[in-house]
Amino acid sequence: MTDTALRPDSKTEHPALARRSKVERVRSRPVQLALNVLQRTWLIVVVFAIWWVATADSSNVFIPSLESILASLGRDLSNGVIASGAAYSLGNLASGLLIAVAVGIIGGLILGETKRLREIVDPVIHFFRSVPQAALVPLIIGAFGIGQGPKIYTIAFACMWPVLLNTIDGVLGVEPTIRKFSKVYRIPRGLHFRKVVLPAALPQIVAGVRVALPIGITVMVVSELFAANKGLGFYILNSSATFQVPETWAGALLVGVIGYILSLLFIVLERRILGWYFKSGAK
Amino acid sequence: MKTGTKSLDWSLTSQRLLAVAILLAIWQVVIWSGTLPSMTPGVPAIASSIGGALASATFWSALVQTMTAAVSGWLIAVVTGTVLGLLIGSVRALDRSTSILIDFGRSFPVLALMPVVIMLLGATAQMETVVVALSCLWPVLVQTIYGARRMESAVVDTVRIFQIPAFLRFRRVLLPSATPFIATGIRISASISILVAVGVEVLSQTPGIGRQITLAQQAQRWDSAFAYLFFAGLVGWGIASLLHFAEGRILKWNRQTND
Repeated sequence: MTDTALRPDSKTEHPALARRSKVERVRSRPVQLALNVLQRTWLIVVVFAIWWVATADSSNVFIPSLESILASLGRDLSNGVIASGAAYSLGNLASGLLIAVAVGIIGGLILGETKRLREIVDPVIHFFRSVPQAALVPLIIGAFGIGQGPKIYTIAFACMWPVLLNTIDGVLGVEPTIRKFSKVYRIPRGLHFRKVVLPAALPQIVAGVRVALPIGITVMVVSELFAANKGLGFYILNSSATFQVPETWAGALLVGVIGYILSLLFIVLERRILGWYFKSGAK
Repeated sequence: MKTGTKSLDWSLTSQRLLAVAILLAIWQVVIWSGTLPSMTPGVPAIASSIGGALASATFWSALVQTMTAAVSGWLIAVVTGTVLGLLIGSVRALDRSTSILIDFGRSFPVLALMPVVIMLLGATAQMETVVVALSCLWPVLVQTIYGARRMESAVVDTVRIFQIPAFLRFRRVLLPSATPFIATGIRISASISILVAVGVEVLSQTPGIGRQITLAQQAQRWDSAFAYLFFAGLVGWGIASLLHFAEGRILKWNRQTND
């Protein structure tokens, strides 16, 4: 209703503008939908087709045919070799991320609310954030061994900073009027955090977790590429060390697909958690 | 007001130094308490290693190698990402067609490809540059696409009605409106470039800071491993602050209108 009222009448519209909208109106809805899907998917199909054809009779040992990559991927997925490794890796990722989110949110809420403390530790935080996550792996694994714990800590350490910094930003973005309200009505500290600051900062926090997710996946794989006896990274490293080239490719490809799926899942999750936020018109 | 901020800054700096000192003290106490594995070095050992590294030629050549790979990969990514991004962002059909591919690429952990990349290109500096460029490309690309896409409809309509020539439109309308987004992408990818360069060196033993860290760890020289880690963090931090500063200067007009 308001939408049409805001738009200029089509009769008064400039012909150059009217032209485009007319073309769009001609097509029926199912056709439009099919065209949309086609438009979004053709390129990825073409890329895979080219890859398939170009490597079909590849004589280079290091570039196996896509067919053999997919075959070994299918075989190791069905006989459980990759599946157990993936479960192990993803378990580490989940625990690490969980720790990072918990520590990041709590720390971010505290630092966001206390200006002085934030200013004092600001350089320290930015320094730790800039430490290359992959370079931590040899130190932590060297010191604590190749077990599960050190891997989880490394993931947690690397993922914590984006969550922390975004939470701080989110807390700072709380509407000043609302903050004053909360103060004037003497809302207890715990309630203030839980009902005022946390919801207001949530969109930023979720954005921070979205940034942390690919970092976590990278650290997960790197920690296993460096030293491990199971997991996805171990599968990749082990197959490359034993010259099972298709398996190496298959493992790397699988990590990519998992990364993509996780980021898609996260968008779904984000829509659920922040439904109210997107509904309110924010983009 | 002016003098007030000056004296306040002074006390802030001293408090910041105090915070760092407290952190280091906690570190040292933890070492003494023996909760950490015995090889973890204490603060004095790391400090003397940092001093030693500054005086050694190995450190400087490692730093130069890391920086060269990081910066060249980053530059390649910035140029390719901006050009491709402007193209994709301003052509709607192209934008839709590439969206899945780009989403896939940006969520792909490039470091997971390392064994494959090492097989194909060997553990060389060129390989390192390629991996850095591949990792840095996505933030620049995605940000540029956002920037090119996001134009106010009033501006779009005006440009179309006045039939502004394509090149003029590109230079005067598209580029300025996309620049803040591109700048953010460039800044993000600059930090990524160092992270990835060091990561590649850790995994592939390509010469540089990352390799020095693994070498030191394998030789049980933990103090120098921590010293190199410190420098790696310092470089990343320095680059991030520098670009933040530069972005603030160059894009002053944008910040002012936004605030």
